[in-house]
Amino acid sequence: MNPGRRRVSAPMLLLLPALVVLTLFLLVPYLNIFVMSFRMPGQGVPYAEGWTFGNYGKFFSDWFFIGQLVNTLWIGAVTTLACLLIGYPVALQLARGSERLRALRYGIVLTPLLVGIVIRSYGWTIILGNNGIINRTLTGWGLIDGPLPLMYNGLGIIIALTHVLLPFMILPVMSAIQGIDPAVELAARSLGAGRSTVFRRVTLPLSLPGVQSGCILVFILSVSAYVTPALIGGLRVKTVAVSVVDALIDSFQWPFGSALALILSVVGGVCVLAFARMTRMRWAVRR
Amino acid sequence: MTDVSLRSLTKTFGGPPAVDQVSLDIRDGEFVSLLGPSGCGKTTTLKLVAGFEMADAGSIEFDGEDVSQLPAEKRDIGMVFQNYALFPHLTVAQNLAFGLEMRNTPRAEIARRVSQAMDTVQLVGLGERYPRQLSGGQQQRVALARALVIEPRILLLDEPLANLDARLRDEMRDFIRELQRRVGITTIYVTHDQAEALTMSDRVVVMFAGKVAQAGVPRDIYERPVSRAVAEFVGRVNLLPATVLETSNDTCRFQTFLGQVVVHQAASAAVGQSVDVALRPESISLLAATDSVGVAKVISASYGGGLIDYRVEVAPGQTLHVQAFPATRFAVGDAVRMEIRPESYWLLGKTA
Repeated sequence: MNPGRRRVSAPMLLLLPALVVLTLFLLVPYLNIFVMSFRMPGQGVPYAEGWTFGNYGKFFSDWFFIGQLVNTLWIGAVTTLACLLIGYPVALQLARGSERLRALRYGIVLTPLLVGIVIRSYGWTIILGNNGIINRTLTGWGLIDGPLPLMYNGLGIIIALTHVLLPFMILPVMSAIQGIDPAVELAARSLGAGRSTVFRRVTLPLSLPGVQSGCILVFILSVSAYVTPALIGGLRVKTVAVSVVDALIDSFQWPFGSALALILSVVGGVCVLAFARMTRMRWAVRR
Repeated sequence: MTDVSLRSLTKTFGGPPAVDQVSLDIRDGEFVSLLGPSGCGKTTTLKLVAGFEMADAGSIEFDGEDVSQLPAEKRDIGMVFQNYALFPHLTVAQNLAFGLEMRNTPRAEIARRVSQAMDTVQLVGLGERYPRQLSGGQQQRVALARALVIEPRILLLDEPLANLDARLRDEMRDFIRELQRRVGITTIYVTHDQAEALTMSDRVVVMFAGKVAQAGVPRDIYERPVSRAVAEFVGRVNLLPATVLETSNDTCRFQTFLGQVVVHQAASAAVGQSVDVALRPESISLLAATDSVGVAKVISASYGGGLIDYRVEVAPGQTLHVQAFPATRFAVGDAVRMEIRPESYWLLGKTA
């Protein structure tokens, strides 16, 4: 009715659906987890009467849990690095390679996303297992005596996570490279920079915002991954996310599971913020 | 510094040639504009000279040395792009230092030359800014300084003023021209704006469909275009249908609807042939008609600030476009008399 008023409220209305979804399915559950993490552990029941800091105490007084957290972050960091090293050249090729078959190459990068994560992780167990394709082939050729330890360890989790999460690195890096004005690279050449110098001094630095988002995405997704570490790590190597599910479902310790989940979120979040701060690009900051 | 020669330069991207047998000699220190509509091959020609594209045929020489096979980074050129193409991740000072670093200039020397260049383009104090923190005009000056600080053999400018607003454009036009004269660098300037080309250049090269249509000093391009296409591209023009009455070695006489006209030009047409005689709108002066002899009628008038555009009708169906100063103003329907200096007429080539 009143046009002036409608103009003000329209942007807020646009946010409303997202706000409702986020509140109902993220904020409320998080609050619930937060409250749960201070409840007393129960016997045979999810939790008991009363409040305690003991769930956090249990975590920080036990090197086993702290080691698990460090290992989880380490797996996340190595996976991120692996995705970056493998994904950057692919992104560069996709963004700058010839037009021919671009749609096909683009499709090849994306198709893994069409296959469920459980299936892909299970596939890796077939490849990496002691009786898996790699070990059987190498044994068959007489190159190794016993099976190589590819599964039930951090290495296997990193290999599988790298495969699963690669598109999340490639896509932002690719779009950052595509966003670079070709004239800027031509300008560098006109000033005397050869091909490799143009890449090192212009293309690479200008693609860093994409690298930054890709790294943050892959790190968050690998630190919080459940299916892949659960299937590849088995009972031997557990990440925090796997332990959270163990605590909540298997040992029925909702308060401790909640505390674990929150600790992982906060520590992971702090890592991401520190990374974002360290890699802050002053030139790219919008006014 | 550097003479530039283009010899039968040709480039095709599939389809008709983008640059078709372009030959051009540019003297040391000369400011040459490539002028033409979009798609005429002017930018491709510039890219060939820069080394961003390699010619299919023909050659490019700098001071007699064939550079056709050299990549851009080895040609020692300074280039200014339409959208400036500054390095967004480097400060102004770092942008200027880039080319010097590529040349392994000592640090102290880089610092000295960068600050000198910033002084030249009036950017003192902005060295630590990033490009996005600068106005369009400032970015333009950084781009110029970045191209010139390396003291290149030639300066190439690709529509550098196209993204600026009108007032700034005039200011930058004078600035670039003045700077180019001071530095004395051989310059190729690509533009589709005829006013820019005419005011800035020592020589203008008009291009259509990949070919050079005419190359000459601005005055010749405007006052003595060789074809109707050139005449119309560099300004408005009246084309009078004419019949050749008489020709000699250096004059022709024609019959037009304005009466008999003499053009001091070698005849390219035979007696009795129909040709077009051209007349610029501003070479016609309008006077208030005192009697009914040679009278025309104003049929439209539009005010354009410095000049007024009139359309006058000499006879039904025979109209002329006239541009006049607003000192004396005529209204639609006024009877006017026209005064035309005889040397304003010229004969267009048949290639039109």
